[in-house]
Amino acid sequence: MAQTSTDITSLQSSQATRQPRQRQMSDLRIMQLFILPTVILLILMNIFPLIYSLYLSFTNYSVIADKAPEWIGIQNYTTILSDQRFWANFATTGRYALISVILQTLIGFGLALLLRNKFKGSGLVTTLILVPMMLSPIVVATFWKLMFNPSLGIFNYLLGYTDINTSPLWLGDPNLALWAIVIVDVWMWSPFVMLLCLAGLSAIPEYLYEAAAIDRASAWFQFRRITLPQVMPLLLIAVLFRTIEAFKQFDLVMGLTSGGPGDVTETVSIRLYKLAFQGQYDTGMSSALAYIILIIIIAVSNLYIRSLNKARGA
Amino acid sequence: MATIELKQVEKKFGESYAVKPLDMTINSGEFIVLLGPSGCGKTTTLRMISGLEAVTSGNILFDGKDVTWLHPSARDIAFVFQFFALYSHLSARENIAFPLQAQGVKREEINQRVKAVAEMLKIEHVLNARPGALSGGDQQRVALARALVRQPAAFLMDEPLGALDAEFRESMRAEIKQLHLKQNATTVYVTHDQVEAMAMGDRIVVMSNAVVQQAATPSEVYHNPANLFVARFIGSPGMNLIQGTYQAGKIQLPGSNVMTVPEAWKQTLDSKLPADGKVIVGFRPEAVEVAADGEIHSTTYASDLHGGYTMLHLQLDRDVIVHARAAREMRYQLSETVRFNVQPNMVRFFHPETEAALQNGSHTT
Amino acid sequence: MMANQTYQAQSPVNFSTRVDKVGRRPMIASAIKGIVAIIIAFIMLIPVIWMGMTAFKSLSDAVSVPPKVFFTPTVEGFVNLFTQQRQLTDAEVAQYQERTDLNWAEQLVLQRQKTIIGQSQFAGQLLNSLIIAGASTIFSVIFAVLSAYAFSRFEIPGKDDLLFFILSQRMLPAVVVTVPIFLMYRQLGLYDTHIGMIFLYTSFNLSFAVWLLKGFIDEIPKEYEEAALVDGYTRLQAFRKVVLPQAVTGIAATTVFSLIFSWNEYAFALMLTSDRARTAPPSIPLILGTGGIEWSTIAAGSMLFLIPVVIVTFILRKHLLRGVTFGAIRKG
Repeated sequence: MAQTSTDITSLQSSQATRQPRQRQMSDLRIMQLFILPTVILLILMNIFPLIYSLYLSFTNYSVIADKAPEWIGIQNYTTILSDQRFWANFATTGRYALISVILQTLIGFGLALLLRNKFKGSGLVTTLILVPMMLSPIVVATFWKLMFNPSLGIFNYLLGYTDINTSPLWLGDPNLALWAIVIVDVWMWSPFVMLLCLAGLSAIPEYLYEAAAIDRASAWFQFRRITLPQVMPLLLIAVLFRTIEAFKQFDLVMGLTSGGPGDVTETVSIRLYKLAFQGQYDTGMSSALAYIILIIIIAVSNLYIRSLNKARGA
Repeated sequence: MATIELKQVEKKFGESYAVKPLDMTINSGEFIVLLGPSGCGKTTTLRMISGLEAVTSGNILFDGKDVTWLHPSARDIAFVFQFFALYSHLSARENIAFPLQAQGVKREEINQRVKAVAEMLKIEHVLNARPGALSGGDQQRVALARALVRQPAAFLMDEPLGALDAEFRESMRAEIKQLHLKQNATTVYVTHDQVEAMAMGDRIVVMSNAVVQQAATPSEVYHNPANLFVARFIGSPGMNLIQGTYQAGKIQLPGSNVMTVPEAWKQTLDSKLPADGKVIVGFRPEAVEVAADGEIHSTTYASDLHGGYTMLHLQLDRDVIVHARAAREMRYQLSETVRFNVQPNMVRFFHPETEAALQNGSHTT
Repeated sequence: MMANQTYQAQSPVNFSTRVDKVGRRPMIASAIKGIVAIIIAFIMLIPVIWMGMTAFKSLSDAVSVPPKVFFTPTVEGFVNLFTQQRQLTDAEVAQYQERTDLNWAEQLVLQRQKTIIGQSQFAGQLLNSLIIAGASTIFSVIFAVLSAYAFSRFEIPGKDDLLFFILSQRMLPAVVVTVPIFLMYRQLGLYDTHIGMIFLYTSFNLSFAVWLLKGFIDEIPKEYEEAALVDGYTRLQAFRKVVLPQAVTGIAATTVFSLIFSWNEYAFALMLTSDRARTAPPSIPLILGTGGIEWSTIAAGSMLFLIPVVIVTFILRKHLLRGVTFGAIRKG
């Protein structure tokens, strides 16, 4: 013991040979340097475009016209707000978002309840069910278009329609086209709701159920008083997130119907795209519409991020 | 080894104090324990000494040199964390060598020093393992080795045994103490465990509410607590503290008891108490002497066997209970009358308003 | 596969099988649930399976009515996907049939009286997708690691607002920001360029990556760096030698998510590229053969495009939850 202790002390001399310390960057400098690239990129690619398009929204500019933007005040906004077609676009978007989010919530929660019980291979099954949400929406839309095809698609056959003359024309029928998009959206995103609900379910402490069982609570009571309230925060996050995503949905609609037939599935994003990049290339008007969408999205995402932060804190 | 001085060091988080202005000198080679309940400012104090936390104002001196604004790496200290802070991507050997590499020590010397320190801590056999594969005790030994290998000016330890199992804790306590005796390194050790503090510290600094309550040797802290907080906090259970009224050499205690004040204290009590004579009498459970002709009457409320001794809970009045340590073979029925005296040299008195201990200048322990 | 012993012990189903010992109903119920789950998983995968089957159908099998479930697999769709073809006249067909120097692909298209006259654009578009997704991922992960560390460890004035702002970028619909970016790019000559798309995707992924990585870095105890700091390392060295190695899992997960998002992106690519920098997603629905929609070709393209994502989904399965909630929610 004494031996080792002298060993250690004998090494002490080497301290003197330590090299002089380099000058160090202060934490403040490091912090600034570390967030600088992110902030610059955000300003360049987000703030600047947003300011620019705010300006454009008050002009009659068109990118294909060889003419400088001309200030027209709030005319674009009044046009949009007084045009029946825009209101129809918003109604379509709202209807689509509402129906698909409700269905996703129900199906996603249901799937989570099914899968919370571990069984042999449940991990594999869970992952398989999650596959759709990771896929490229435009590619999803493309192969669903094939599925929906009234003659060569498999969808109607799976539903039991064997006669192509009487089977529904999903994408061509004005009454069904929006539902077709809803079906694909639900197919793709119910797994997302399921994933969040599973996380919520797995976090419920077992003793709550044990206590309830000892108190002879019925299964329904347990579901209503334990399961549902415990999963609620995560379910809320899922619902808000899906609402935002449904509201901005572009890829699926574009891939499946491009807004048709006629304009029955024309959501605001599709309308915005058509306004900005087709026909007259009405840049000013499209910027105004973009701003209206932006305000709605910011309002919903505010709620969303707040509940995210709450979940993070909990 | 360094002398560490804190001069009017304070730390505020926003408007609230984590540490109120504090003066403290830690002598070279001393083992100081910062003790207190959680949130009392002990860890903040330690982190200010290390430089991991910036002071709000005041100065910190190492061997007379002002290091207040020096980067932690420039202070030549070693810090042992509660959860060891071993890098899971490095082996135990690499973890121990890590601080030496920072200083650009030559490879040969690193190997030699790691070997020496590993021998000292008896962890040679785990050097190639990753921290995740080690037991809690070995992880802590590796963390200690990482601190020791530096030969730093001071060791700072933040509840280093807090994450260990009870049985490990006891043996590691002895190991750290042993190391300190061998190395004689200035050590500042933070804990909320008073047993640890009593066992290890040359001096204990008791903190509460961002303020140092008492800084003294373990026995001084135990026998002569500076105020009611220390009296309650140290010892398990803490000191018996009973409110009484002093008058002419006698103290009226609850349950119509009267206690005679020891001769040595009479003058102090005559002069230092408030006019109404209110006083708080304090004595440790082991100061109670059960005797048939004892001056204080009580009834047994409960009696716990502790193996080595029996702890009696004696009721003086409805809600005044005294803990008394009695011989292990003593057995009492509930509600039995027990009479006792308090050893005159072990009784202490506290001012009811300032809560400070009264001093009579002739303390004995 | 994910079900390990300890996890099972905590799951409430065991409670019901254990506490409700009376009767075997709970056991049966859970078996039924399992079977139902498997059936649902299968139903959910039908579209993907159907697409995979279509990719291996011949052009005529793909358009047969009613749809064929059993067919002779062929790689015709893949050949069509990567080649440009020309219709042959009857005389040419006869001439081609005589030839012995045709490779297997040429022989395959000859059955439909066509010949290969060159490469299609698809390979180039896949390559564009790869380059743009890869480069933008590298940049966004590097930037994100740095700022996530800063956000995790330092007191930054207005940090919560800044973080909120960063995430809100992710919420914006692509179409909303595209118009001004389109104008800006046209001005700067970045329209339809790789650099422009890399730049755009970097910023697009950055907000997500910052949040995800901040979650991972928050989990690395501060003590690790503090130990390094008192051991004599600078903040930067501590970051490099301690934080980065500990954050490897998080960085890997973020990288893969960022890759997937860029790989899948459609709206920006549709509006900001036309030819040189066009990626695969806007092209896949537009794959047209010489005669009508060639479903097996489209399916072949889709499948090639989706396979990497499916594989990655399995690799990432433990991190999916974190990924899709920006690191806010972790499984305990």
